Amino acid sequence: MNTNPLLLQFIPEARDLLDQAGRSLLALEREPGGPALNELFRAVHTLKGTSGLFDILPLTRVVHAAEDLLDAVQAGRLALAAETADVLLDALDQVGAWINGLDEAGELPGTAETAADSWVVRLRAPLSVRDGQEQSRERPAGEAARAAVPDWVAALPHAEQHACAAAADCPLFAIAYMPDANCFFRGEDPLALIRQVPGLRLSRIEPRSAWPDLETIDPFICALRLYAIAAADEAELVHLFRYVPDQVRIIALPAEWPNPAQPGTADPDSLKLVLEGQRRLLRASGPADLLPGRLEAAAQALQGTIHAIERDDLADALAAASDAARTTGAPDALLAFIDRLSADPPAEARTGVAEKGGDHVPVAAAAGATTAGAATLRVEQSKIDALMNLIGELVVAKNALAWLARQAESGTLGPRELAREIKDRQSLVNRIAEDMQGAVMAVRMLPVEHVFQRFPRLVRDISRRLGKQVELVIEGGETEADKNVIEALADPLIHIVRNSLDHGLEPPELRAEAGKPASGTIRLQAAQDNDNVVIRVIDDGRGIDPAAIRRKAVANGLIDAAQAESLPDEEAVKLVFAPGFSTAETVSDLSGRGVGMDVVRSAVEKAGGRVNLTSRKGQGTTVELILPLTMVVTRIMTVAFGERLFGVPMSMVVETVRMPRAARHQFRDRETFVLRDSVVPLVRLAHLLDLPPEPVADDGEEAILVVNVNGERLGLVVGAFRDGMEVIVKPMDGILAGLRGFAGTTLLGDGRVLLILDLRELVG
Amino acid sequence: MKAALIVDDATTVRMFLRDILERAGFAVTEAMNGLEGLERVLAATPPPDLLMVDVNMPRMDGYAFLRAIRAEPSLCAIPAIVMTTESQEQDAQRAYDAGANLYLTKPGRPAALSAIACLLAGIPRAGAAEERAK
Repeated sequence: MNTNPLLLQFIPEARDLLDQAGRSLLALEREPGGPALNELFRAVHTLKGTSGLFDILPLTRVVHAAEDLLDAVQAGRLALAAETADVLLDALDQVGAWINGLDEAGELPGTAETAADSWVVRLRAPLSVRDGQEQSRERPAGEAARAAVPDWVAALPHAEQHACAAAADCPLFAIAYMPDANCFFRGEDPLALIRQVPGLRLSRIEPRSAWPDLETIDPFICALRLYAIAAADEAELVHLFRYVPDQVRIIALPAEWPNPAQPGTADPDSLKLVLEGQRRLLRASGPADLLPGRLEAAAQALQGTIHAIERDDLADALAAASDAARTTGAPDALLAFIDRLSADPPAEARTGVAEKGGDHVPVAAAAGATTAGAATLRVEQSKIDALMNLIGELVVAKNALAWLARQAESGTLGPRELAREIKDRQSLVNRIAEDMQGAVMAVRMLPVEHVFQRFPRLVRDISRRLGKQVELVIEGGETEADKNVIEALADPLIHIVRNSLDHGLEPPELRAEAGKPASGTIRLQAAQDNDNVVIRVIDDGRGIDPAAIRRKAVANGLIDAAQAESLPDEEAVKLVFAPGFSTAETVSDLSGRGVGMDVVRSAVEKAGGRVNLTSRKGQGTTVELILPLTMVVTRIMTVAFGERLFGVPMSMVVETVRMPRAARHQFRDRETFVLRDSVVPLVRLAHLLDLPPEPVADDGEEAILVVNVNGERLGLVVGAFRDGMEVIVKPMDGILAGLRGFAGTTLLGDGRVLLILDLRELVG
Repeated sequence: MKAALIVDDATTVRMFLRDILERAGFAVTEAMNGLEGLERVLAATPPPDLLMVDVNMPRMDGYAFLRAIRAEPSLCAIPAIVMTTESQEQDAQRAYDAGANLYLTKPGRPAALSAIACLLAGIPRAGAAEERAK
């Protein structure tokens, strides 16, 4: 569990930087020498710098090695070969995995140290071939991190920190021991090991993550993390943990621990550093027009310094030196002043007041809230502003209600006027509510880019593995849709693109024979179409052979030979969406895993969308996903059945008709009716839900809701039609989640719960 | 109260520095790149008492930012610390040539950073203690 606010900030930032780096790297492969190299370098550089703030040395080392590699590329000492890009991408993946671990466990796994070693070697390999001296660039990165106090130590209660440090005759070490989950099977006893720590001052045991439910706990798995502070010899500690070196981190605590760093303590080192800085500034050889600025800056800094060290008695001397420097345009007088100041250090009576402490706040006090994996949404400022304005309006509208209540109480308004006033207010509140709904919806809108951005990498990796040349073209990534829709889109799209890569696009030699360019093209297009977002995956591959599909469908028993014969080509290719259909002749490791396009179809339909496919043999295939822009608000039609009310999603409703009972026909074992010259099968809601049969209306007519289920028209016999309304459908949860036939529930204005029917499940 | 401006494109670094500087008694503002930093310095009245500047930033890097500050007579005296992850001598020289008062390697020890910031901006230790007490 991770409660360090700085780390909480770091994790999403690191993920962004990794994303950006990955994208730039792919762009760079396509267009070497483009601006992507700078972006890539900056992302990796920033990540390295920021990671240095934390005790995650292995991660910093890997990023650092990646930066050195890129540095060589940027300086033109190394060309970015595809193999090098592979290593970089894999290394970034590793860093991403560590960031996820950091998010969940608050620290890197014990194996990170050794993993980092091999990553550094891999990342440096292209460099060492070229130029041996690069090795020497590895600096003791994270030196400061090593000297820092680990978070868990800083989070200890103050009294315990002091008790540990009291009368320590040896240096103090902080030991963090994360035993391997399977350590018990190797005969290791973490608790015994911690007990044997020489000079043990403190020990702590905690679960690595929140305990699971009692019934799911596996007592043979070690789920603990052990901490200790010991006053001992480092060699002794290393010896004790010699069998589990990868699971233990031993960190020397700084000598001044646990006394918190005093802000502003003018220790001699800082003073020396500052004075040396001013010397270098004054001696610097930058552009001449900056010289006056540099002189002023140094003079100002020195003035601050003498004030800070309470040597204001030197103020006159400094003013004289500054004037001399200004008039001569040369730094000599100021340099002489610095020499004088360093030779005559401040009267150091300042250490006495240091121990004031007590206001030091441990970092990790605010435990409890689990933030792991919390879904965050990034929102443009303007969208939030729009929402804020509406809230303002709502507050005003709310105040008007109080005024109305007073009017009603005092009786100054008659019932008629009062009713009119209430209606006015209601319409105002209604408008604000609608606007707010729109504004919140806008907040949830994300560009499709969000899903598209993973494809360049995916296409690159797969096409390299398949030995195909593929160009991916992305269009309309800025099209926006609701976050849920975007998320629902990801898996089906990956499947479709993989299919295109694997089965659609031909190997270069076959393409050449067919007179096509050696490199195939996959287009990912997004566009908005009324209330839908339309995503197309277009490839220029071999297309789907309708004859092969017919054969396969007949062989699988989906249709009989006669049906296959009469099926037009464009309908035949759509058979790939039929459950259990798969045309792959050989099962490749990519998409031939027994899940076919039917999974794509059901995933898209679950999100309220539909799939289309067109294909021309030899020319390519286009798969089209049509999804609603938002899944939050659903228009439903309510239907009554006796006392009960049910909702049907409006997207499925074709029309409502009333038919005399006599108009029904029995067609084999099914009831049907004729609607404008076509025969439509009838289904009774009572039958579907196992309700008692509905009483026949006086006029002998039945209410039939004509719906479209899985592309087929159906008449659903209900009791009566009620209103259409916009509702927010809540999915069934808890024990009801397993209930089939219902898409969810919503609350009605009178407080009743309305069940929304899932006709696909009920009828299918 | 003295004012400090942090110019760095990494949010986490800004947060880290802000914490240190606020504890040392500074009022802190932030900018995400050199250009935004210039806008902040120009908009502030009075100008900040200390600049904490990163080098590698989009749009305008730390060197260009600093050169612009040192070239403007009304702003040129503001003390500036340049902080980067590079500890190469040539990077330090570039920073001083651009007008840095001090070149430091990230991340740096909080205690030392705090002490240095106070020296450059002229906050006596006693003053810092008063700020803390408040």
